[in-house]
Amino acid sequence: MLSFLAVFTAFAQEALPGIPRNEVIIIEDPSGRSLNPGRFNIWGGGVTSWSTGLQQLCLASLWYIDPDQGIEGDPWINLLAAEPPIYSDNYKKMTVKLRKGIYWSDGVPFTADDVVFTVQTLKANPAMTWGAYMEVNVDKVYKTDDYTVVFELKKPNGRFHSIFTVRWAACYIMPKHIFEKVKDPIAFDFNPPVGTGPYVLKAYDPNGYWFLWELRSDWERSDLGVAFKTKPGPKYVLYKGVASPEKKVMDQMAHELDIIHDLPPEGAITLAQTNPYCVTWFDGWPWAHPDPTLPSIIMNHERYPYNLKEVRWALTLAIDIVQVVLQSYNGCATISPIHIPPTGKYPEWYFDKIEGWLKNFTIKVGNKEFKPYDPEIPQKIANAVKYAFGYKVPDDPNVLKKMIGYGWWKYAPDVAEELLKSVGFTKKGGKWYLPDGKPWKINILCEAATRSVMTRAAVAIAEQWRKFGIDAQIEAVEPSMLWQRMNYGEDPDTVYWAWCIETWGGHPDLFWFLESWHSEYYRPTGQAVVAKNPMRYKSERIDKVIEELRKTDFFKEINKLIDLGIEYVKICVEDMPIIPLFSYNVFTVCDGYYWTGYPTAKDPYTNPVPNWANTRFMFIKLKPTGRK
Amino acid sequence: MELIKSAFSAVKRIFKYDARFKFSVITLTCLVAFAILSLFSPHDPRSSYYAPINHPPSLKYPFGTNGRGQDLFWLLTHALKNSLIFSLEVALLSRVVAIIIGITAGYKGGLLDQFLVLLCDSFIILPLLPILIFLKLIMRTMTFPTLAIILAMFGWPWDARLIRSQILSLRERTFTYSAVFSGRGLWSMIFSDYLPHILPIVLATTVNNMLWSLGFEITFSILGLTPLDVPTMGTITYWAIQQQALVMGKWWWIAFPMIFLIFLFVALYFLFVSITDFIDPRARILKRG
Amino acid sequence: MWKNFLKYLVGRLLVCLVVIFIGTTITFLIPRIIPGANPAEVAVRRLQMAGTYLPPESAERMRQALLKLYGLEGTIFEQYIRYWREFLRGNLGPSFASFPTPVLVLISRSIPWTVGLLALTTVISWLVGTILGGIAGYKNRGLWMKIFEVFSNAVRPIPYYILALLLLILFAYVLKWFPTGGAYRIGMNPSFTWSYISSVIKHGFLPALSLILIGVGGWFLNMRNLVSNVSHEDFVVFASHMNLKEDIVFRSYVMKGALPPQITGLALQLGMIFNGTIITEIVFNYPGLGMLIYTAIMQADFNLVMGITLFSIIAVAVATFLIDLTLPLVDPRIQYTGK
Repeated sequence: MLSFLAVFTAFAQEALPGIPRNEVIIIEDPSGRSLNPGRFNIWGGGVTSWSTGLQQLCLASLWYIDPDQGIEGDPWINLLAAEPPIYSDNYKKMTVKLRKGIYWSDGVPFTADDVVFTVQTLKANPAMTWGAYMEVNVDKVYKTDDYTVVFELKKPNGRFHSIFTVRWAACYIMPKHIFEKVKDPIAFDFNPPVGTGPYVLKAYDPNGYWFLWELRSDWERSDLGVAFKTKPGPKYVLYKGVASPEKKVMDQMAHELDIIHDLPPEGAITLAQTNPYCVTWFDGWPWAHPDPTLPSIIMNHERYPYNLKEVRWALTLAIDIVQVVLQSYNGCATISPIHIPPTGKYPEWYFDKIEGWLKNFTIKVGNKEFKPYDPEIPQKIANAVKYAFGYKVPDDPNVLKKMIGYGWWKYAPDVAEELLKSVGFTKKGGKWYLPDGKPWKINILCEAATRSVMTRAAVAIAEQWRKFGIDAQIEAVEPSMLWQRMNYGEDPDTVYWAWCIETWGGHPDLFWFLESWHSEYYRPTGQAVVAKNPMRYKSERIDKVIEELRKTDFFKEINKLIDLGIEYVKICVEDMPIIPLFSYNVFTVCDGYYWTGYPTAKDPYTNPVPNWANTRFMFIKLKPTGRK
Repeated sequence: MELIKSAFSAVKRIFKYDARFKFSVITLTCLVAFAILSLFSPHDPRSSYYAPINHPPSLKYPFGTNGRGQDLFWLLTHALKNSLIFSLEVALLSRVVAIIIGITAGYKGGLLDQFLVLLCDSFIILPLLPILIFLKLIMRTMTFPTLAIILAMFGWPWDARLIRSQILSLRERTFTYSAVFSGRGLWSMIFSDYLPHILPIVLATTVNNMLWSLGFEITFSILGLTPLDVPTMGTITYWAIQQQALVMGKWWWIAFPMIFLIFLFVALYFLFVSITDFIDPRARILKRG
Repeated sequence: MWKNFLKYLVGRLLVCLVVIFIGTTITFLIPRIIPGANPAEVAVRRLQMAGTYLPPESAERMRQALLKLYGLEGTIFEQYIRYWREFLRGNLGPSFASFPTPVLVLISRSIPWTVGLLALTTVISWLVGTILGGIAGYKNRGLWMKIFEVFSNAVRPIPYYILALLLLILFAYVLKWFPTGGAYRIGMNPSFTWSYISSVIKHGFLPALSLILIGVGGWFLNMRNLVSNVSHEDFVVFASHMNLKEDIVFRSYVMKGALPPQITGLALQLGMIFNGTIITEIVFNYPGLGMLIYTAIMQADFNLVMGITLFSIIAVAVATFLIDLTLPLVDPRIQYTGK
């Protein structure tokens, strides 16, 4: 069917009036239709989509941490700042030196005044997007010269700079000369937006389906221009919202869509196999880009029986990860046995170091000892994939490790049985019963239509647990519903298939999510969890790790950070507070017909997933192929 | 007893003379038989990946397999059964309510009529999809039987109004007056005199209602809001779309459910059309002559 | 006679207003009943879901500040009174998800598209279905009618998403007769020029076609049954025995008798177009109210949900009011009095 289509769709049409196709790169905006497209005031809230090009091409922040290698080989990138932040010894003062020579797109120079103004405005309005953070943390902010800003903090905080460091987004800098004339900084629409980036907004759809950006004539005075002195390749960038995956595939086959944000595996693989110009992260299986996010089975520790370590481990051992990977991702997943995403540089920092420990890790079942780790799983997945789908898989086990992960926990339902029996569970007629005699029911709450991979994985897990004897089923809901219910934790007999572990990717520090696991932020069931601890996990050992992390310098004591991280990993493996499965793999598919220079696993200078703000760096590497 | 005997001979007559009736009865019987076949299915309808993935129709798998490794043949038996039961539930429940309310409102008139119309309109006014989504959010789990009841509650107002307007016009007719004058009871009059007039509308609205509830079930499933591992026409469509069946060229995944649905509804349409024509004596004569 | 009419009119008007009131109250209450669906929380959660750095203390502070900003304090009853007060001033409030853009502004952008597309397609499929259904019911003409019968009913059960996609693939990708999506060409600005209008027509053709195909069958079926029902009424038989020309019998007697329920249906359907069609919008990238209300519900954007539903409620209420008023005019057998 597709080759039939390919014949008909090979001819391109002019994408926009007056703009030749080979001068514009068309990118999918995954937020689809922007419901309020005329509003660009990201600080004031009420902007439903930041990825219309606003955070990728226009606004910028001080630093970027790339989830991959970084455009110059270092994941840490100074953009609006000239160098990393300088903290005082007691971590109560942070000094930032800004990059000189940058101009806003309307010709006004970028200076320390803009940074100071941004922070003061935010601080005065805690309802603004980063306002609460500034109000809570910043005591005073002032400049010592036109390019140096000093922050005086209310309490010691060695990670204050995180707010200005882009992971997916960060606190962007406002243009003072525009906002100072505005009476209500929240109501102001900031249309047209003015930024330090190399592109300006040329036109947009009042119905919110597309946004067109044009290269500044003075691009060498933009942040990218000053920092890297390279002219971005595309003259125009069009961000388009396309809701239906079939349309995305057909659009790219017709070369009318250059970068697709995400596709169900079948669509991506079909494209990869039929479009000769297709560019994916991995050239061939497993194709997808692993994001530094870790989908896991999250259970509320305040609900019996999930407070029991044995039960959580039993549930882990009753999952056949090979099957789950096959059914959800068609085998293109990157698995992780530990509570750290297997992406970016983490394999090198954490996975390599802990592998030996994992292989020897033992759990006691009754009076027997059992080693649950299975390093052969990547090979098993590769074999299964070859058999079921026929994809070409590499033979080298080290290459396999980098592609699919290091290993996972054994599929051992018999050991799981023993674990359960040791805490009073009984099995009658092939079905499990809780110690109080009631049948064991589990409802897996997962995301619905928008992320089918997650739904499929949940279905697979439910089926396996049913095979094991638990009365399991899935319930697919809208993402915001899932998050809400997970945060309140009030559903009985429910586990959540979502994620709470997210990391930088380009830096080993785990504080980003780990901070909220500290017991001082603990919120009981019925109250919304504050941040990343919906399982309501409490552990004194973890508390100690967090307190140590707080005192460790983000920049200077990287080895200590990693050591503390390893400590955290070991504690979590023993306790298994949540069951980590794999990293969130995104099937970003690029078309090499009009443009070349996309980031790939062979040249991982940034991540290609188009709604991340760090895709900014892609534009200076993209070059036209010359085709009309 | 008399009624049943005459009904039976009527059916025999229509079958003999009306090709459409023949077609629809045969088709519907086949479909129901197919649905009953689900009782003999060797696979648990919720299980997956027991067959090779995405195989086109063959001797072993007459309808092919889908991307979740399920045998489409057996899966469809379950899906058809579930969807049939579902739409019949909704149709029957809402018919009962629609007929009672429509007839009462139309015939009795006055304050009762006004009140019932008010009730009708209050229901018609509520936009269904948003309300369903809300209910789903409140109730958390939405099983198919629950969805059926809710749809039934929203499926009657429109038809009740139609029936009411039909009754309104019938009421003013001469045969009503003569029936009333001769002392006929309300319900016996409704059955023997009105029924042939409102039966076509009831049947037509039943077909529409079944289609409507099925369509809703499919929309709701496509949005992922129903139990997704229970096979119905809607959830099969959901998975086919999710796993990009159209783009991948796995036509059998979509074609077979669609063919079943089309046959089902064309058969229903012919059934009701032939019954309607039969009830109209003139048309009957025309057909035979 | 006029006294009756007036009494009837006032009665119906009251009913209409009461219905609107009830519908509004229900729509007001429902989103607020859902536990934890609170726009301030949703805003904070949205940031957290996107992976923005929001450590625990700041998240709390932000939640508090947002609650104050959105004006969600007070009991439900107080909010309810405030709502009616603002409503009577013509102010539907700000949208929470797109704070502080007013709800009316958001709705006004999408309404022309939804109303335009759906009004047009509803009327067209009604006309085609009713006329052809009438002919089929009365006379059962030839082969083409039979083919149309089967076709219009065979199309109905096809899931709309699939039908729309198939049309899209066939006409936009393979044959390239129509564009693949959007309401008008990218880069164009709305204006009264022919190029803009022709672009709108070109882009709207496929969505309209898909909606008409699926809608026609229903009207056809209904009308056919109505007509065959009416056509064996005494007055029709009498008229045909009087050797009146068939056309006249058909038009003045049969159709007039069969039309009232069809018109009822049309009016109701027109009233409901404010619900939008979300699947059309997804497949064809068409702007409209469907996506707007769906997202609004998911984001607990109370005011936006209320605003859109209000349009829907008022439209349907007005439609039913007009039906009840005009039907007796069309069918003389229906009286204004209830007995």
